[in-house]
Amino acid sequence: MTLSISGVSHTYRGAREAALNDVSLTIPAGGVFGLLGPNGAGKTTLISLICGLIEPDQGHITLDDEPLPLVRAADPARIALVPQDYAFYPMLSVSENLRFFGGALGLSGARLRQRCDAAIAFTRLEQVTGKLAEALSGGLRRRLNLAIGLLGEPRLLLLDEPTVGVDPQSRHFLLDAIAGLPASGTTVIYTSHYMEEVEAICQRLAILDQGKVLAAGALNELLDSDEQTLELRLDRPLPEILVSKYHAVQSGALDFQLFLPFTAALPELLAELAAAGCEIRHLSLGRQNLEQVFMRLTRRSLRD
Amino acid sequence: MIPLFSPRLFALWTKEIRALLRDRHGLAALFVMPVIFILVMTMALHDAFMPGASIDVAYAVVDLDNSPQSQALVRRLDKSGSFRRIAVGQSLDAARQGIRENQYALVLALPAKFGERLLAPAGADGQPTEPLTLLVDPTLNPALQLAFRNQTAASLGAIRADELTRRAGKLFGLPVSPTAERDWPDEMVSVAVQNQRSIRPPSSVQQNVPAWLVFAMFFVVIPIASIFIIERQQGTLQRLRAIGLPFGYILAGKLLPFFIVNQLQAVLMVLVGMYIVPMLGGEALQMPAGISLFHWWLVAASVSLAAVAFALLLASLTRTSQQAVVVGGVGNILMGAVGGIMVPKFMMPAAMQRLAEWSPMAWGLDGLHTVMLRQGGFDAILPDLLKLLTFAALSLTAAVWLNRSSQP
Repeated sequence: MTLSISGVSHTYRGAREAALNDVSLTIPAGGVFGLLGPNGAGKTTLISLICGLIEPDQGHITLDDEPLPLVRAADPARIALVPQDYAFYPMLSVSENLRFFGGALGLSGARLRQRCDAAIAFTRLEQVTGKLAEALSGGLRRRLNLAIGLLGEPRLLLLDEPTVGVDPQSRHFLLDAIAGLPASGTTVIYTSHYMEEVEAICQRLAILDQGKVLAAGALNELLDSDEQTLELRLDRPLPEILVSKYHAVQSGALDFQLFLPFTAALPELLAELAAAGCEIRHLSLGRQNLEQVFMRLTRRSLRD
Repeated sequence: MIPLFSPRLFALWTKEIRALLRDRHGLAALFVMPVIFILVMTMALHDAFMPGASIDVAYAVVDLDNSPQSQALVRRLDKSGSFRRIAVGQSLDAARQGIRENQYALVLALPAKFGERLLAPAGADGQPTEPLTLLVDPTLNPALQLAFRNQTAASLGAIRADELTRRAGKLFGLPVSPTAERDWPDEMVSVAVQNQRSIRPPSSVQQNVPAWLVFAMFFVVIPIASIFIIERQQGTLQRLRAIGLPFGYILAGKLLPFFIVNQLQAVLMVLVGMYIVPMLGGEALQMPAGISLFHWWLVAASVSLAAVAFALLLASLTRTSQQAVVVGGVGNILMGAVGGIMVPKFMMPAAMQRLAEWSPMAWGLDGLHTVMLRQGGFDAILPDLLKLLTFAALSLTAAVWLNRSSQP
């Protein structure tokens, strides 16, 4: 099951700029595919296009070479969305919510009971099935949101920022659970602006910014780059001439990230710092993380 | 076409019913509020709808003549029974004091020689005729003052006619009882114009039960809008769309449960009118039977469709639950005020009655009254049914259009 997105653009009604601009991606079957980008990058728009909530202005999306609308029409449960919002009924209990969404999928009788039980077991909601959804903690609400998405045994599961507003323990549980989904044959598309999460569970990813794909591929390929990111902490601000020469980004009061064209450029930089009277308090050079990859691609911090 | 019995529709109905059962405020607005209105308004307006019923205003007569004619006038006034007479002495000052002490609001003073001068036109024989005096409490409704004057004038006319008959009988040597009091043909009885046969005009319970039922049916706007706005705000509608649930299912999922809620309201309000109102001293509601009952239900069902569709339109127009409660609540109260729910249409001035023709609540109430009071058949209720169903169709179409156009 391969999802192909070809030249997709979408502009919201009344918006001046396109939310997505000529986006092309191939998402292979199995695994967790990450969509990383800051708020407003176009992640939710892409998710909405894949699950059919909006139509592309240009381009097309296919699943195993079949146009997506036909796939959805043939089997609506094949693709499931877990939205960023708590998209369930606060006045209903956990099990009532699951039974309702299962029924809305067309499930009934023993099959409905079996799917509800499986979703409850997967998300470990057994202790709170009778509790009203509005009385659940943030972490348990996120689990219920995920459980509803799993009711139809989707082949493609779209998770839009599924860990926003949860405590570290619930986040850890959710990430483990999501990472285990491909083992049961579900392909997961996971959007987040938390690069640690994407780095932890995604085998492949795409980095989006301002409606465009900046980079896409396997995680290891994206992290490996000839261009090196150097983290520096100085005793004083970095001189302007060095800021522009090394495309430096300030990441703290006196913390800077500099981009070296190659590792051998380091001695020259150290000499320039010494000449400018800057004393180095901390220096780090090595394998990049996604934050650094994003900075390298956009010259901006992911959280800007 | 949506299959009537599908797991999807069943799930939607179950969800709506569960959500409503947990909405205490919504339940109170739908069931408790109209029952209270029916009981309070039926009892408060008990006499206002009953022609010839006694008006709870007391009066006294100071008879300074004490003649057979003055006594006959007092008996005539007693017979009409609209105002309550309290016996007092023969002193005008004591009677004045009674008004000051709120014992009664009117005093009719009959002058000396009242009987003697009954048939003498003022000044015709060169002697002045002393007028009857009416002492009034200035806070008494002017309409009631006028009503009492008219009633007194009518009674005076009747005893003049009695006196003339008696004297004419004497003149021609006919045997006439000196105390004969006749029912003259100019006395009036109120009769409502009906379809086939004449019955009495609406009683308080006949006005208030259908009126507050229609009003309560339109209050489904509160729970429908609350749930719909939660669904929209929390992304639940998006999620349902993403799993391929057509919007028609979502509408159908709301129409049937709230249609049933409206039918339960109808049963409850009718039972209150039939059994609770009489326990409190009011008149029992008489429901039509046979085919008329079916016609009554057709009107109630059309009101329900109009109310639920209007609620869906308001839910689509408003952004927050607070907005829906304010717009829905105030809108209903305005429709009720204009449409003859709070003040019956026949009590309104002509201009307001024309305005009432634009209120869907008035169409519903007119339809129910056509069946209950005028024994109207299907032809008679058809105009109101068509208005209600057109209103429902337009509201539903607008709601669907608004929801489609709000999608990105």
